Amino acid sequence: MRNQIYILGKLMEIVIIFFVIMTVLFFLFRLSPGDPVSKVVDPMLTPEDTQYLIEQMGLDKPIWEQYMVYLKNCSTGNLGVSFHYGEPVFKIIKERLGWTILLFTSSTVLAALVGVFLGKISAWNKGSRLDNILSISALVCYTLFIPWFALLLLWIFGFKIGIFPLGGILSPELWVTNSSWFARGLDILHHMILPLITLFIINLGSYLLLMRSSMLGVLREDYIITARAKGLSEKVIRNKHAAKNAALPVVTSVGLSLAFSINGGALTEQIFTWPGIGRELIFAVSNNDYPLAQACFLLIALVVLLANFIVDMLYAYLDPRITH
Amino acid sequence: MPIWIRGLPIDVRGRTKGVFMLKNHYVQRFLQSWKIFIENPLGKTGVIILFVFMVMALASFVVPHINPMYDPMIGIDPNISISTGPSLTHWLGTDNVGRDLFAQLLEGAKVAFIVGLSSAFFSIVLGMVIGMISGYAGGTLDTFLMRTADIIMVLPSLVILLILSSLFGQFNIWIIVFIIAIMRWPAVSRVIRSQTLSLKHRPFIEASKVAGASHLRIIFRHIMPNVLPLAFLYMTFRVTSAILVEAALSFLGFGDPSQVSWGMMLQWVWKSGNMFHAPYWLLPPGISISLLTLAFYLLGRAMDEVLDPRLRKEGRA
Repeated sequence: MRNQIYILGKLMEIVIIFFVIMTVLFFLFRLSPGDPVSKVVDPMLTPEDTQYLIEQMGLDKPIWEQYMVYLKNCSTGNLGVSFHYGEPVFKIIKERLGWTILLFTSSTVLAALVGVFLGKISAWNKGSRLDNILSISALVCYTLFIPWFALLLLWIFGFKIGIFPLGGILSPELWVTNSSWFARGLDILHHMILPLITLFIINLGSYLLLMRSSMLGVLREDYIITARAKGLSEKVIRNKHAAKNAALPVVTSVGLSLAFSINGGALTEQIFTWPGIGRELIFAVSNNDYPLAQACFLLIALVVLLANFIVDMLYAYLDPRITH
Repeated sequence: MPIWIRGLPIDVRGRTKGVFMLKNHYVQRFLQSWKIFIENPLGKTGVIILFVFMVMALASFVVPHINPMYDPMIGIDPNISISTGPSLTHWLGTDNVGRDLFAQLLEGAKVAFIVGLSSAFFSIVLGMVIGMISGYAGGTLDTFLMRTADIIMVLPSLVILLILSSLFGQFNIWIIVFIIAIMRWPAVSRVIRSQTLSLKHRPFIEASKVAGASHLRIIFRHIMPNVLPLAFLYMTFRVTSAILVEAALSFLGFGDPSQVSWGMMLQWVWKSGNMFHAPYWLLPPGISISLLTLAFYLLGRAMDEVLDPRLRKEGRA
């Protein structure tokens, strides 16, 4: 029962926050300089079509009614028509979302696993040469400028050595010929390696540093001394008693650092021409495609909120004290 | 009795003593801290890197006066019309219209310092004031401010800046600085708030309440001096993120078009198609951004160790 109340409360929170974000966005669009109609309706359309869209969106009505229409449209997924593609924004975003999720989840999970493992080793051997090397490299990873690192990878592996493609997700010839699904999958993986490495390296540093400091804190706890006094082997103390407890803050940080990795993700997608949401957003912003930009933004906000919700749930599951 | 906050003795009683003694006390403590700080290898590395970049930033004021063609934005070498490699007249080479890359790199250092320091300063001032008010007032105001902080904290700042610049056109550098500051106060205010909560019920606050001090006076005269060291620690980390966000924004082409910055240099090498055959153009700005952010991060870590003795070098617990 208590768990259900906790989950319900968290869900309500997300709904309210998303509502606030939508409202702020609506008023920002109306407050910005220029004709509000030009932000919603493609300026290239004929006057009749424009008139039709204005009536459909309620742009000729007072601002409160416009706001109601906007909320209704948002909740039904009707986010307008992209100026550039001439297609419903919803459809475009649906196509892009899969690619972003593929790149994001794989790099985050990989970075978290490796980061937790290396952080554990680093903290356990505090002060040793291994620890110094690991923490300094983690620091360097953490402060690397993402776009530059991506360009560097592109220059070295894409151009100088030439073993990886310069961008995109598929080689066109594979689509034309009737190649097998396996060959296509392998091709996607081949295109994915450089962006994956970029995001992996960027995320790795913060996970490693966090796990290291969390583990150092845990190692000072009394129950570690108790475990030693009981005569448990060092390996058991390290993996069962210390690392499990130390990994908890790392789990919450996945949610908090998501904002940071979305920034990095958008830049990475842009450089490797990976057709995800981040690249679409940058494209929409540079081409003044307002409906598309707005939809990308709302989607990113929604994903961030949901991810934080999942992390909260996971944390409550791992640490039952939270719900009490 | 000194009160220990994260290992730093803050002599509360000292505040009521003569001002002169207080100053002396602070100077002594500062010198002690500085000694720990500079003996720390992290701190030392950070200070050295920072010093080099400061010299570069100062040099950017001098260079255009040596020869007008060294102006980072409008100075063009008349003999050069494509990107060329390093030479005696152009130490790092030139870009595709004949502008000196070294001069641009120096200018970039100046811009990075301006952006990083000023937006970090704004964000800690905002974070500190909001955190103190939130912690001191409690109740509905506290809930409201902290929920707002939560919302802002999970939003990706670069994405926000992108959407804002699509609506309002390209920003000048100060508006970018200000928006970054607004995006970055929540983490500071959370820490300051919890510090304020623990300070709020200390006898010296109660005493000043009884003596008739107003809320504002208590917040700014009695609580603020006790949370300042913590706020400054957070400032170094804010500098890092501000520099990275501004560079990323410029790299995507949404920076201040009238300012040369490192992100802008990378944007030019990328967009002008010189990326694959001009390593002398691609490498320096990226290395500079990474090194400068690393320096500020190291500084923050070293300061953390000064403030928290538990973090200092010891064997395994």
